Amino acid sequence: MTDVKEKTKLNRKEITYNKLKGLGQDIINDVTEKKIPTLSVPSRGTSNIVYDDAKRYYVLGDRYGKRSLGNVKQIKKIGQMVHVANFCKDLVQREKTATLREMYYVSEGWGIGFDNQQESNIVGEDIEVTLGTTREDLGLMPEEDGASVYGNIVLQEGDIEINALKSGKSGYTISPTIDEVDFVGHDVKRVIAVETMGMFHRMVQEKAYDKFDTLIVGLKGQAARATRRFLKRVNEELNLPVYICNDGDPWGFHIAMVIISGSAKLAHVNHDLATPNAKFLGVSASDIINYELPTDPLKDIDVLRLKELAKDPRYRDEAWQNEIKKMLKIGKKAEQQSFSKYGLEYVVDTYFPEKLDAME
Amino acid sequence: MSQQASELFDNFQELTPSEFFRKNKQMLGFTGKIRSLTIVFHELITNSFDAAEEAGILPEIKIDLKRIDKDHYLLRHSDNGPGIPEDYIMKVYCTMFAGSKFRNIQSRGQQGLGCSGCVLLSQMTTGEPARVVSAYEEGDKLKGVKLEFKMDVKKNKGMLLKREDYDAKHTGVCVELEFKDVSYSLAEQGAFEYIRRTIIGNPHAKIIFRDPTGHKYIFNRAADMVPVLPKEVLPHPKGVTADDLIFMAKHTDKRRFRSLLTSSLSRMSNKRISEIEEITGIDLNKRPKDMKWDEAEEIVNAFSKMDFMAPPTSGLIPIGNEQIEDGMKEILKPEFITATTRKPVTYRGGVAFIIEAGIAYGGNSGRLVNETRKAEIMRFANRVPLTFDQGSCAITEALKSIDWKRYGLRDLDNTPVTIFVNIISTQVPYLSTGKQSVAPEPEIIHEVRQATMKVGRKLQKYLRAKKAAKEEALRSRIFEEYVPAILKESAALAETEVPEYQEVLAKVTRRSLAELLGEDPDKVEEEVEEELTSTIDDVEEEKNPDIEDID
Repeated sequence: MTDVKEKTKLNRKEITYNKLKGLGQDIINDVTEKKIPTLSVPSRGTSNIVYDDAKRYYVLGDRYGKRSLGNVKQIKKIGQMVHVANFCKDLVQREKTATLREMYYVSEGWGIGFDNQQESNIVGEDIEVTLGTTREDLGLMPEEDGASVYGNIVLQEGDIEINALKSGKSGYTISPTIDEVDFVGHDVKRVIAVETMGMFHRMVQEKAYDKFDTLIVGLKGQAARATRRFLKRVNEELNLPVYICNDGDPWGFHIAMVIISGSAKLAHVNHDLATPNAKFLGVSASDIINYELPTDPLKDIDVLRLKELAKDPRYRDEAWQNEIKKMLKIGKKAEQQSFSKYGLEYVVDTYFPEKLDAME
Repeated sequence: MSQQASELFDNFQELTPSEFFRKNKQMLGFTGKIRSLTIVFHELITNSFDAAEEAGILPEIKIDLKRIDKDHYLLRHSDNGPGIPEDYIMKVYCTMFAGSKFRNIQSRGQQGLGCSGCVLLSQMTTGEPARVVSAYEEGDKLKGVKLEFKMDVKKNKGMLLKREDYDAKHTGVCVELEFKDVSYSLAEQGAFEYIRRTIIGNPHAKIIFRDPTGHKYIFNRAADMVPVLPKEVLPHPKGVTADDLIFMAKHTDKRRFRSLLTSSLSRMSNKRISEIEEITGIDLNKRPKDMKWDEAEEIVNAFSKMDFMAPPTSGLIPIGNEQIEDGMKEILKPEFITATTRKPVTYRGGVAFIIEAGIAYGGNSGRLVNETRKAEIMRFANRVPLTFDQGSCAITEALKSIDWKRYGLRDLDNTPVTIFVNIISTQVPYLSTGKQSVAPEPEIIHEVRQATMKVGRKLQKYLRAKKAAKEEALRSRIFEEYVPAILKESAALAETEVPEYQEVLAKVTRRSLAELLGEDPDKVEEEVEEELTSTIDDVEEEKNPDIEDID
């Protein structure tokens, strides 16, 4: 098993703590210098979300909104921001987390509170973009758990060491606090993420982890932030190639693409979430044709979505454009599990080996 | 033709004016119970004012209205004027058309029916005699007399019933009349409102009024100057009609048309006389008494084609914006008041007039309707309130045509404002015999608009500043509450002490004030910085910015 060096975790905590402290210092310094404190909050409007060709994911542009203490309309927002920042600093210091809902309830005791949770969610995002840090780093956790992981990897969560090969048939569940998890060691060569838990269990039963020296990740549909963070970390920290296998339809394509190139909505944290090196394994339009898979006709909404994707900068490269055109041409889609037409084992025994061979 | 006309007039003579108006009392304005009483107030007050002003006395009037029964009142009206000599008392109160002479003068002006009309109405509705006490100076003695008389309608003169001497303390007239079929009302057209408006248009007057419930209202004077008496000026050629010319020709002592015209009309030079001769071909050496209607018409026609200098305006005496403001302040106790007096101009090319306008906001401005104050328009002509027939009036029309939203009054009707408009002229172009509305001459409408828009702009400026001040107070509160709280949180975040922040707070507040006033906040911020860092010497220099220029 390869040992993994402890490297970033302490830093992340310190960096976040210092960023939060810096926010307060900026304001106090301005006041000491008799200046009216102003905060620059990067704009999250659609016109300020741009696709970065070099990074291969969405980033925020350089437009800023000013929040001045001297503006009646902005002063309340500044008040809310420093309150949230203090709350987060406390979370980071005590190594605790809270959900946005919990923060909303806590805020009721603040001098400058929120009118509704929507407002507090937005101020949370304001802090994220202003400091360039993810909300998980700030201790603000999403409610939902991440994906299931099965395979030979050892993780350290606090005092507990977990081997994802010995955590039951459903594997290890990625926690929202994934950044506090250390990779202790592993004995795999790659990671295969699949859209459905059906396929996840098929692969566990067919011992795919053994056959391909792989981690199996069951995405459960659109990948949660923690899942994407996990995939990015295993790709970058452990140098493991990541393959994604979804249903052969526009929705499956896009689940893969959000893992690879991030979402527009989270442009401000894509640098922590996107895994540009991850690869889409299937099911592609070509697979549908080559493997003569059982299909369903494309619905109107599928066609519409495919046309949208064709225009999306993330799908700019030729391979994707060809796949989209091909699917529109055949007018058909196929599910991952349609390989069972050739027997339950076919997908693991035949499809994956052939595809991995072609890609590696 | 002129003979036929005079024959016709002879027939009329058989019916005396008093008798004619007894049968047609609506022609004196006595229509409706409320209006009748208002007209009585109007006639008596106007008479008192005119008499006092002519004598150079500041008018003070006491009015006592007692209710005897439903629609039945006893009115006692007394003034501090010069009084009426005994021989003239019954002429004033019992003879219709006392003096009739063509006069081109700015006057509160009724048809000369005034007081006698009131006596007529009293007698017609109650059969009771009029009682008048008059105190006047004769030589250097103060004389007083008390008369009781009735009007002999057939003879158009008084009928004395009782006479006694009266021990007078000061000059003045007191008249006591009883009325039925009239009603005292607080409505806009009622007698009380008439007094209130009269005081606004005549701030030099004082009126003490006891209403039927016994409540005493004292309307104090806001100005201590008797208005300058308007001078009679010759009418302008463009302001006369053929009928006026005939009237002048009948009453003149001149021997020729040409001398009649130059002596009776303004701006009438010999050069103009030749022009008229040329245009009309009428021999202007004819005797005025022979002037025919056709000739008069032709001459007036000629006038309309000729160019004349604008009429003289020396005869017009406006109230003046300061006095209007004082008058409105006294009565309305407004939060804001402004008034303006326009320069004299003419309508129909020949009649000079002046428009004055004022606007009062807040306080007791506006009319109280169900405990909310609504906009009210006060129309005046030569200081006399016009309370009826507002719909067709030039003043109403002009005010309606103004887009009040542009002056910050989103909902004029529901704003507590009183808009005052007075037209001063030797000939106010009334629309009807009631003399309660001004004809919508384009020039008059234009002037009313200009005057009102000017005061409107001033009100808008005031309202804006007031709103800004209110907003400013609100903002200051926000800053005073938030800034300390935010800096406390920020200091906790930075793990340091809360720094001294009064200067920043001051800046923040100033900045937002600048924003409110539409100034550049950054510039103001710089100024504040300078102010805060400047020494006493700098301040001295700022006071004398010229010093630098000398270098």
